[in-house]
Amino acid sequence: MNESIKEQLEWTFKAVVVTIPEDTQTVVSVEKDQVLAVLRFLKGRGFDHLALVSCVDWIEEKEFELVYILTRYMQGDEERKYQERLHLIVKTRISRQNPQLETVIGIFPNAEPYEREMHELFGINFEGHPRLTPLLLERDYKIPPFRKDFDTRKYVEEIFGNIPSVENNK
Amino acid sequence: MDRNKIAKWLKEPAKMANKYSLHVIYFCTGCGIIEIPPVITSRWDAERLGIIPVATPRQANLFLITGYVSVKTLRAIIRTYEQMLEPKYAIGFGSCPINGGMYWDSYNTIKHLDKYIPIDGWIAGCMPRPEAIFIAVTHLWTLIDKGMANGYIRYRENYEFYRRNQEMALGKLDWPPLYQIRSDVKAVENE
Repeated sequence: MNESIKEQLEWTFKAVVVTIPEDTQTVVSVEKDQVLAVLRFLKGRGFDHLALVSCVDWIEEKEFELVYILTRYMQGDEERKYQERLHLIVKTRISRQNPQLETVIGIFPNAEPYEREMHELFGINFEGHPRLTPLLLERDYKIPPFRKDFDTRKYVEEIFGNIPSVENNK
Repeated sequence: MDRNKIAKWLKEPAKMANKYSLHVIYFCTGCGIIEIPPVITSRWDAERLGIIPVATPRQANLFLITGYVSVKTLRAIIRTYEQMLEPKYAIGFGSCPINGGMYWDSYNTIKHLDKYIPIDGWIAGCMPRPEAIFIAVTHLWTLIDKGMANGYIRYRENYEFYRRNQEMALGKLDWPPLYQIRSDVKAVENE
């Protein structure tokens, strides 16, 4: 199954690099303008569950890496048991200076909160997302807090360290 | 009833009644709430000490803050504390409300909870055992007896201070002050 997905992907798309680190994992590295096409293709092949969208900050390479993990919903019959265990990991890189990517809500509607969260924590702008409003955080941050160049200790000292304690009252 | 306490009951009935009927509000912050179900159910049975969990802040007079406090939760904690009836007591449970605990350098966790609301007692540990809650409650009885569990009085007296701290952490608060802020009173007098 792994091999056939690999063949199909490499046959359909040009710049796709498929590696198989483990029996149950297949890593698909694609260019950023091909993400939608690859995800739509894989959904058509039965990978209909977007389990996670995540982001990695490669600060030295000045790139963000977006990770989409796809699996299948339970099918039930014996023949598909092996396929069910297969995790497809679609990776793409975008520039850190201008982090922008098209939303995948059109294909997987459950990507909506993931993309909101990444917009909030990494500052990635998803084009076509219906509401990129704050999801988890209350305060405004100059640098989104999950980026590597966000200095947590300095931030904590500046914000929470400056609030006077009870002993300082009067 | 304990015969030795009859004199106390006759002398200060309100205080004694207060002491033995602490109503804890269900409010879950962080991981510490996992210790509460065994405490209030048959394993440790908190009701033998007069502790009953209640659903709304209007019925409660004991506030257990169980675990780390994120900035968003602080807003809910303040609103809950302000709605509770006096006399009200607040206990910080676990090391996170005391000084941040393992989240001491987190960007979104409140480090010292007593900067924002007055706390009557702390239970240290990560996690404290359920028995620690009973030790804390018996300590609280002593404090109530001596009149030292006066968090709500401190809150009323230093309300400007607490409100300013809350606004420093949360930005502009979208509810009116619970007590009159004294600087406002002065401004009116000057006019």
